[in-house]
Amino acid sequence: MIVSILFVMFVGLGGGLTVGAGFVAFLTVMGIVPRLMQLTKTMRFVQAYEGAVISGAVFGGWETLNMNHFFLSEWLAVPVGLLAGMFVGMLAAALTEVLNVLPILAKRIGFGSKIIILLMAIVFGKIAGSLFHWLYFIHHS
Amino acid sequence: MERRIFLRLRHRVKAHTGDIITIGDAAQIAGQQKLKKKLSALPLYKVTKKDKNIVVLDIIKVLKTIHTAFPALDVQTVGGAETIVEIHYQKKQLSAVLFVGVWLLLFIGSCLAIMNFHEDVSMREVHIALYEIITGERNEYPYLLQIPYSIGLGLGMIVFFNHIFKKRLNEEPSPLEVEMFNYQLDLDHYVAMHENEETMKDLHDR
Repeated sequence: MIVSILFVMFVGLGGGLTVGAGFVAFLTVMGIVPRLMQLTKTMRFVQAYEGAVISGAVFGGWETLNMNHFFLSEWLAVPVGLLAGMFVGMLAAALTEVLNVLPILAKRIGFGSKIIILLMAIVFGKIAGSLFHWLYFIHHS
Repeated sequence: MERRIFLRLRHRVKAHTGDIITIGDAAQIAGQQKLKKKLSALPLYKVTKKDKNIVVLDIIKVLKTIHTAFPALDVQTVGGAETIVEIHYQKKQLSAVLFVGVWLLLFIGSCLAIMNFHEDVSMREVHIALYEIITGERNEYPYLLQIPYSIGLGLGMIVFFNHIFKKRLNEEPSPLEVEMFNYQLDLDHYVAMHENEETMKDLHDR
């Protein structure tokens, strides 16, 4: 009995370790935290940001497994949704596909000066696609 | 009298067909004032129609030209080994239809990509669960979470690229500008190697 408990704990710890390392590696590759620090000029808080990412991941992991309910105002969902969206948006922007496609596209078709407008096409496409998904698509799928 | 001159090739020169590129156009020169003036006016290359878009001027070509005119001059070169001459033609007017087409392509593509992403990671279930965690009620359509989320998506991308807040936040280049610069540098590197016959030699090709 004790052996199996210890084994299960070991397996859980190992799995968590790997997933956590993978998560941090993913974030590092994306370079979102450095980008935010560069924008806000807060390089000195690097460790606090690390703490934010780690505690967020641990809290999120715990909540997906346990689903504690907090019984707070539904309006709290607005800032949470906005911040969640911004994070996903930054991830999407950091994906190298976007970064690699745009310069080539701009160069090929000679849109160099209009690259911002092309970027806006992607930004509005993301917003419209997401709204369409939540407001229409899920009702009809 | 010291007969020495320092020369640094420019990275990129823009020209039109028919232009004559002088040494002063292709390089920065430092040295004795009189010598510098004479050297600057030395013709190096005449751009013709045959050159198409790009010509690469090798440092050796520059040195040859200088050597024929001033055999006794000691030329010290600094920096890169070639100049890329970009030949500009009268630009065709960009067709609006093409632009709108590309815009729509990116727009629709992003729409589909984000929807696929949401389905792929079961974003809907996560939103429903998140809403339930916050409020304690189950809501199959937590719009209060999802609409700000959608707007945040766009905001996050804009913050990442820092196009709108550029003046306000800081003046460092955005990742997109850096990426465009890198792409241009890669292209230049390729062109410098491949458009320049002097850099490659086949011993059996006689």
